Amino acid sequence: MLRTMSTATNTLNQLQQQLDIIGNNLANSATHGYKSSNAKFHELLYQQFNNDKADTAPRQSPLGIRYGSGAVLGQAQMNWKVGSLQTTDRQLDFALTEPKQYFTILMPSDGGEQTVYTRQGNFYISPVANGQGMLVNSEGYPVANSEGLPITFADDVTNFTVDAGGMLALTHANGTVERVELGITVAQRPNLLQRLSGTNFGLPANLADLGVTQQEVMTDLRGATRNQVSLEGGMLEASNVNYEKEMTDLITVQRSYQFNARSVTMADQMLGLINGIR
Amino acid sequence: MFRGFYTVGSGMIAQQRRTEMLANNLANANTPGFKAEQSSIRSFPEMYMSSINTTRIPTKDGFQLKGLSPVGAVSTGVYMQETLPLFAQGQLRETELTTDVALIDGLLPVDNETGTQGAIFFRLEDANGGEHYTKNGNFTLDPSGYLTNPQGYYVLDNNGQRIALQNDDIEITQEGVIMNGENAVATLGISFAQRPDALLKQGNGMFKTEGGENLQNANAVAGVTYSMQQGYLEGSNVDAAQTMTDMMTAYRAFEANQKILQAYDRSMEKAVTEIGRI
Repeated sequence: MLRTMSTATNTLNQLQQQLDIIGNNLANSATHGYKSSNAKFHELLYQQFNNDKADTAPRQSPLGIRYGSGAVLGQAQMNWKVGSLQTTDRQLDFALTEPKQYFTILMPSDGGEQTVYTRQGNFYISPVANGQGMLVNSEGYPVANSEGLPITFADDVTNFTVDAGGMLALTHANGTVERVELGITVAQRPNLLQRLSGTNFGLPANLADLGVTQQEVMTDLRGATRNQVSLEGGMLEASNVNYEKEMTDLITVQRSYQFNARSVTMADQMLGLINGIR
Repeated sequence: MFRGFYTVGSGMIAQQRRTEMLANNLANANTPGFKAEQSSIRSFPEMYMSSINTTRIPTKDGFQLKGLSPVGAVSTGVYMQETLPLFAQGQLRETELTTDVALIDGLLPVDNETGTQGAIFFRLEDANGGEHYTKNGNFTLDPSGYLTNPQGYYVLDNNGQRIALQNDDIEITQEGVIMNGENAVATLGISFAQRPDALLKQGNGMFKTEGGENLQNANAVAGVTYSMQQGYLEGSNVDAAQTMTDMMTAYRAFEANQKILQAYDRSMEKAVTEIGRI
């Protein structure tokens, strides 16, 4: 069989996956707190052919010829640059202005609770039992405070204000002010995080096998480190997808797809010629 | 037997190998740091032919003189002798990722013997300590914090040590010094190959030396200059238009060989059906 065909089909398959990644980025170009992801191509294995064992002709390269077998997508990497800030003037909209800082969300998982990390800061109040309210994210999951517990309060709050250090002040109807520290963590190795959905990230399940602890990957900002937090109220972080870059990538990938499809056609015609010998 | 029959057969194989190589170039038109392959097609050693003839001298006993008269040299086919990577610099592409580095060639000395220019590479190390060389600066942090390529090969500094980092909040200067905040952590190791053609190409954009010995440090070689650019990758140096044209040329050459093969076949058909008729 012609290697041209397998080389090209290997690559076509991977180009298709890159199209998927670009498509996902473009679809999320208006999602608040979305971080674009991108993947780079790598060469597939090379194969050595010793087609000229008796060859004594002068040559520059080591003996034999080396053939590649196409290209494959390497790692998908997250671009953790901060997106532009959008003023919304809503009291429960928060934007983290330092890269790699995340809100912590408590998400129920099978048989317990899972901490997920997000930069999407549009929060809401959900009523719970006994006239209490709870701070939740847009999916309805509780937002954690710096102790990792849900934030509940008497549901008569008239005003919410937040300072740059992530301290949320709730003014109750009777004038008393309650202060809550929003739980903020720093992702030391953003590429180790697992993307659970568009803007939610979780720790990989095999963390222990990798030989790292949760603290090494996600450092909670508590006590003295709290001053690293940089948060803005009444604002949301827009997606950091670069529309023009994604579109140019889309065109490049599409053209590459055509080029490789052309290789398949050419290989097919060559096979036709071989068949036509007799 | 017709001598040319096998000559055109070898021509078809050589052109097929050429298309296979070009298809791989085309497949890697988006691979960062990819170096396009070039082929050299070489003629088989020529055969010197002479005809055996006899001259009868009219004597009493009928004396015969046997002799050889030269006919000339005849070629018996072609084969693909070498695949040589083209080490020209690819275009730089912005990626915004802190762990992406483009290695930009400065002045590189030319080898006096072969007349080819030297090449510089990043130094990588596999789990067993063997060194590999690459132009693909798409790196990442592994779970233990080492700077690696996506396949997990460790990136080495200029002392041949692995580079351990706290997080990917790094800055890389033009000289390749990795700064974590104010502190210089390490300097990216760059190796220089005086005869890059002698390197063996492996998968994933990596090269290694034939005997497994390490290349010399580029800083120790007089006249080598280079610079680095963080947040950029060196694109593939494949020219898609040229590759496509070459592929069409190879395809047509393949077709021409096939036509000659058919012509030989028709001659043989005549030999069987017309000459051999009883």
